[in-house]
Amino acid sequence: MAAGGSSSTGGGGLGDACKHHAQLGVCESRAKYREGRRPRAVKVGPAWAFRGPGPVNTLLLFFFPQVYTINLESRYLLIQGVPALGVMKELVEQFALYGAIEEYHALDEYPAEQFTEVYLIKFQKLQCARVAKKKMDERSFFGSLLHVCYAPEFETVQETREKLQDRRKYIAKATNQRDCFVLKKVEGPEKTVSKNSDCPWSTPGSCTTGNWDTSCFTSSHRVSQNTGYPSGNHNQSLLTLPQYDDNCAENSEYSGQSTSLTLNVQPGRCTPPTPLIQQRIVPIDNGIDRFMPRTTHLQERKRKREEGNKFSLIGTSADYTEVIIGPQLPEIPKVDMDDDSLNASATLIRNKLKEVWILKVLIFSFSNIYMMCLLSIKIETLR
Amino acid sequence: MELGRLEYLQALVTEFQVTDSPEAKEQVLANLANFAYDPKNYEYLRQLQVLDLFLDTLTEDNETLVEFAIGGLCNLCLDKINKDYILEANGVEPIINCLSSSNEETVMSAVTTLMYLTTPQSRQQTTALPVVECMLRFSLSASRRLSNLATVFLEDYCTPLQVEEARNLSKHTAVGIPLPKD
Repeated sequence: MAAGGSSSTGGGGLGDACKHHAQLGVCESRAKYREGRRPRAVKVGPAWAFRGPGPVNTLLLFFFPQVYTINLESRYLLIQGVPALGVMKELVEQFALYGAIEEYHALDEYPAEQFTEVYLIKFQKLQCARVAKKKMDERSFFGSLLHVCYAPEFETVQETREKLQDRRKYIAKATNQRDCFVLKKVEGPEKTVSKNSDCPWSTPGSCTTGNWDTSCFTSSHRVSQNTGYPSGNHNQSLLTLPQYDDNCAENSEYSGQSTSLTLNVQPGRCTPPTPLIQQRIVPIDNGIDRFMPRTTHLQERKRKREEGNKFSLIGTSADYTEVIIGPQLPEIPKVDMDDDSLNASATLIRNKLKEVWILKVLIFSFSNIYMMCLLSIKIETLR
Repeated sequence: MELGRLEYLQALVTEFQVTDSPEAKEQVLANLANFAYDPKNYEYLRQLQVLDLFLDTLTEDNETLVEFAIGGLCNLCLDKINKDYILEANGVEPIINCLSSSNEETVMSAVTTLMYLTTPQSRQQTTALPVVECMLRFSLSASRRLSNLATVFLEDYCTPLQVEEARNLSKHTAVGIPLPKD
């Protein structure tokens, strides 16, 4: 049933292709009144067609409908069919039009069609991922058709929890529990969240049955307390929920031309004005590394990633200005003297030695240059 | 869409009831279940008794129909009126039975539906010992989606005591509900 080539293990590991990423065929047997504007599989929801990592033509043999639930949606989008032309920056820029991106990277191990790559993009908000998917799926990109689908198998437990919780909040708002919610909002959502936070299912004894009214616990559910939102952000996330159907992209301005790649968003709208890319800084692509073979690309990327990791370990921020040229001086092994004052003086001596060492090196190299000059002068005079 | 929303949904329900084609039945049910995602449709779906339609379909032999029906329930069960209706109609039992399906999507929808149906009154049913035991096994599943979901269920909807009890029970019995195939 899964599309050709996709592994059968239902997305256990990260590199596995999931069954639900297989493309659905166009449904041809539906009654006249159920026909949509364009041919698609039976799926009324954010996504219509799924393509697995196989040749496209064999996939159109499947005709089966799909039901969309919150379990299938995700802030993670899997983008297949990206031509292997070193166009990651362009791809991310395209997707950033629909909302702030928290994380992105290439999935080198993910099965891909020849000459294409697979990318994973994590949006800050599910709604933005939803819009991005809708707009970018089956879109032509550098001569190839992109296939965009949700990738909930990349979520952490906490992210799954938040996703389910957001759906709870949204339904509470959209249905008859609206009044309760608005009231809480006026009071200040942060306060109410923490106040009622210890009223979960798990401790039924600790709260009265009255508190168990759905309308109340949806708005002040304890899961909100440990969501990953920064405290300032939390407020906003509650406030923006009624605009669930709003198009994120319409609320955001995009400044793709600047090298720092930041999203300028008006306050109070869909996305907070945070740097667009928090995890990786895209190197400025001057077009030199394009048209490299895929394997070279992968190696290069791996090298860059390792380099990036190294800097993050050292604690250097990505916008460091100091550039180290040439080999570093050999480290003098540090010895613990078991005493603070002794250690301090040892460091002092060590640093002094280092300075002297540098001086020596400098003098040596200068003397070399001096000798060279003398020699050349001598040669000149001999001629 | 030429027809109004209610008329359109009515046409779907009618087609589901009268058609003999299993394929058409699946398509229509998928349509209805997807409509159940949007709260705007809840009132119409209640009028047309689509909740009963979903609940009745849970006991069908056709796995695909069951998957779509539980998907539909998962989509609409957060609404308080819908939730009360499902609980009143003894919907928890057939939903728990979906946990033993070999279809992963069915199981996922069933777990989420059970979470969303949990209230102080229904708690005893939705987090019954066999359910907790089932979640313990799902939390070890190779499928990350399923294991995440089961972990959330255990951490947020069950007491540590319940989990401990289920853990002890599963130690003694080797047989249990099998994991979904994919």
